[in-house]
Parts: sequence; C-alpha cells; structure tokens
Amino acid sequence: MTEGTARVSEEADLIASSVAGDLDAYDRLVGRYQDRVYQVAYRITGNHEDAWDAAQETFLHAFRSLPRFRGASAFSTWVHRIATNAALDMIRRRPPQPPASLEGVTVSTGDDPAEAATRSELQRRIHRAIISLPAEQRVVVVLRDVQGLPYDEIATALRIPPGTVRSRLSRGRESLRQQLADLAPAAGS
Amino acid sequence: MTMGHVTELLSAYLDERVGADERARIVAHLNACESCRAHLESLRRTVVMLHTAEPVRAPEGFRAQVRARIETQPRRAPRALHLPGWIGSWRTAGAAVAVVLIGLFTVNLLREQFPSVALRRDREPQGAVPAPLPPSASVDRAARAPELSAPQAGGFPVPGRVGAPSIPAPYSPGEPALRRVIRTASVMLEVENLNETASRLTRIVEAAGGFIADSSYAQAGSTPEGTFVLRVPAPRFADVLSQVESLGHVQQRRISGQDVTEEYVDLRSRIRNLERYEQRLLALVDRAAKVSDLLEIEQELARVRGEIEMLTGRARYLDRQVDLAMIQVSAREQTTQSGGFWDFSGTLTKIQTAFLLTIRQILRAAEAMVVALSALVPVLALAGIVWLVVRRVRLARGV
Repeated sequence: MTEGTARVSEEADLIASSVAGDLDAYDRLVGRYQDRVYQVAYRITGNHEDAWDAAQETFLHAFRSLPRFRGASAFSTWVHRIATNAALDMIRRRPPQPPASLEGVTVSTGDDPAEAATRSELQRRIHRAIISLPAEQRVVVVLRDVQGLPYDEIATALRIPPGTVRSRLSRGRESLRQQLADLAPAAGS
Repeated sequence: MTMGHVTELLSAYLDERVGADERARIVAHLNACESCRAHLESLRRTVVMLHTAEPVRAPEGFRAQVRARIETQPRRAPRALHLPGWIGSWRTAGAAVAVVLIGLFTVNLLREQFPSVALRRDREPQGAVPAPLPPSASVDRAARAPELSAPQAGGFPVPGRVGAPSIPAPYSPGEPALRRVIRTASVMLEVENLNETASRLTRIVEAAGGFIADSSYAQAGSTPEGTFVLRVPAPRFADVLSQVESLGHVQQRRISGQDVTEEYVDLRSRIRNLERYEQRLLALVDRAAKVSDLLEIEQELARVRGEIEMLTGRARYLDRQVDLAMIQVSAREQTTQSGGFWDFSGTLTKIQTAFLLTIRQILRAAEAMVVALSALVPVLALAGIVWLVVRRVRLARGV
C-alpha cells in the first residue's frame, strides 16, 4: 500500500517536473509506460512498424499535452487514452494491413526480442484473432484482457459508458472464443 | 430460458460486472443449462489465453527516440502551454474587459472636458463652410470659387470684372413663375485697415446700385471691429459678395436663401380675391335702397380695403427683400504686429495650438484604438467561447 502510494506520488513529481520542462523526468515517465503503450499500439495496429509510430506519437503528444493533464483520471488511464487514439489514427491512415504484413512480422522474429510475443504458434494465433476483430471491439479487448484495465478505466479512457464497454467486450470475446475454440482445450490442458 | 439471453452476459459475469438480479438469473440458468455452462467454460479459457499472451515490450531505442524527438522540438511545448493558460484565466479576461471599459470611459470624459479648449477650435472653420445653398445660389458659389483661391492681398477689385459673365439673376429664365428668394449673406473678414475697408465697401455698394443700411464701429481690445449691413439689388448679389470678400481674409461666410415664392403667390391671390369682393361691394352700394344697408356695406368695404392694404404692404415688403439682397459684413483688423526685432506675441498661441493639436491627435488615436477594440469585443468573446468549448472537449477526451 505504502509502496503504491509512494509510486503514485513519485509519478506526480515526475509529471510536475516534466511539465516544467525537465526532460529527464519525462524520460523516466516514458521508461515507466513505454511497454504498456507499445503493447496497446501493437495489439491495435497489428504490426511493429505502425506500433512504433503510434507509440512514438503517443509520447510526443502526451508531452505536449501534459500541462493540460489535470489529474481528473489516473495518468495511466490518460496515457492509454492517447495511445489508443494514436493507434486508431494509424489504422485509419493505413486501413487494411493484410495478413501479408503479419507474415512479415512472424518472419522477422528471430533476432528482435520484442517480437518474442509472436514467436510461438499460439501467440501468433492469438494475435491474429485480436487483429481480426472490428476496431471498436479490438480496443476494448486489448485494454481489458491484454492490458488488464478495469472496466471503469476503459470507459474513462474511451469516453464511452461502462455498459458499452461491457457489450463490446462481450462481443469481442465471443468472436475470439469462436476463432480460438480449437486452441482452448489445448491451452486448458 | 433461451441460451442467447445468458451468453451475452457471460463475459460480464466472468468479470463480476453483473448486477445482483442478473447474477441470480445467470446462476440459475447455468445450473439448468448444460450448453451455457460449456459456453462459459470455453469463454473463460479464451480470456485466460488472452491473459497469457506474451507481453510485447517496447523495442530497443524506442525511449531514446522519444527523447530525441522531444529535444529537437523543445520550443513547441512551452508555447502550447502558456498561451491557453494565459487566455484561459478568467481573471485576465475580466481585467481585459475592465481595461477596455475604463478606456472607453476615460475617452468619453476627456472628450467632454476638452472640446471647450481643443476641439471647438476646429469646429469654427467647419462652420465657415457655406451652409447648404438654395439651387440658384449654388451657381453663385461656383462662379465665386476661382475668385476665392486668388491672392487675398490683391489690389482694388475692378467692378464688373469679377464673376461678371456668370452673374445669375434671382429670377432664372427657366422659371417663369417668378421664383422669389430672399438672399442674405454674412461674411466675417479680417482686413488690414478698417477705415479703408469701410470706404471701399461704400464704393462697391454704390457702384452696384445699393446702399449701406447700417454700419457700426467698435474697438474691442486692440482690434477695431466694424459691422456693415449692405443692401444691393439681387442681380448684383453674387458680384458684390465676391468683391466684398476680396477686401480681406474671409474667416467665416454664411449664405442663405429664403424661398418666399409660395407666400408671395398666396398673397397675390388673396389680394386679387379681395379686390373682386370689393368690386362687388361697390356695385352693391349703387343699388342699396336702405341707409342701414348702405352703412353695413360701407363698413364691410372699409374692412376689405384695410385687409387689401395690409396684404399689399406685406407683398411689397417681400418684393423689397427679394429685390434688395442683404450682405452683412463684420470686419476686424488684423492683430497689428508689435514690431521689433523679435516678436514673441504669437509664440504663446503657437505653443498652445501645437500642444492642443498633439493632445487632440493622441486622443483621436486612442479613440480609434478603443473603437477598433470595442468592435473586436464580440469577436473576441465568441472566439473565447469557442476556445473554451474546444478545450473542454479536448480535456474531456483526455487528449
């Protein structure tokens, strides 16, 4: 508990310093959130190239907008919000990324540790299933089941009612269940 | 008891995001429905599988690039922050509005205070611009215009030369109905020598067949002033006026024409009617049988005659007024130079004039600025509202 509180207050200090123009402080914030942001970007855009751009955009945008961050929501929620928007923007800009690019991702795995996620067949299937979801369901599934955010935070980050989060998540999960039905028993056993 | 109803809730049920009622219904259904239990289990495994998805980490160099990109555009950040904060402050906005209002108030106050010294001075020359002229008089002005631009210190004006070709008759040929206009002018002159001016005026007026109806002379302070009322035949009005104005420096001029045609026509017809009435009465006198009737008719005759005389008198007065235009001249000698090597007498006035001129210009500039600002106020208010809304929306979106 105290550790969590200390972490939050330290984060608040980092934010305040960043607003004041302390790049080191912001660098540490980036270090703290880069994996989470990158993951969101990657799961939504579906490939590393776009994920990199979207995540970069997220942190640049966050730095510029930081003074307007009033702490109405948690910083993490706020960052997720920006990351989601950046990733969705990226999808809109380059709409259909056919499976070919997915193959590309798979092929290029070997040396890059960041691509370990798609190394195994299971991981690849999961990733492909997520990518196949409609964007609005994909976002909710990624934030809930990949990132582990609570419903309320998702609702806050996406500015949609919790009921909408619930229904989109339900539809997304159902779609995933059907796609991954053959893997499920294997995963369970 | 259909399966569809519960399957939609299973996802939320897994996360314990269902209400107590729903929960009870789901539990009851699950107990009864084998297929839904299987469905729930399958869904749970799917979610677990998602949880076990290997976390993707930001690649090497990602953080460094973020930093590098921020450092290459460091200036944008502060600017983006400061401006909205500055405008967004209600206190600042209130202060700005207050400043504008105070400025308006001050300018208003100054304008009330200063006209007595500064602004009135330039109003007088404006008054010197001829007042709107009657149609016929505007011809006079056109004829006189070149004369006005001629050097003032010219010699004795040659009568008949000035404006002679274009002297307009007060009865223009195009208007056979005898347009009758009483023309009056008043001129304020600054002359070099008042006595000489007086004699010149006399000569001008007499040459035109008029007379000086009134003249007065006064010495106020060091500058002698004289007032002359000239009566000249209407056809010579413009001619005489231009000659008079050549006598000195015109400081003020006012020309007016009063159209009395209507009144004149009215008078004439009333007189004619009364005369006819008189004729009929005279005819009755011859036929009157009784003395009492005769007396009555004589009485009426006397009354009618009196009225005719009165109207005729008025008509004659109008005739005279129309025939003899009036020019009122007030002449003032130029302030005599006190002489000497170095004359400071005008310096104070010049200083005062320059001072007031500058103040006036400053006030005008301030006024223009305030006017422009107040014209902008609604626009600024709109922009402010739009900006606030945009900011609210953007904040709400968390961006």
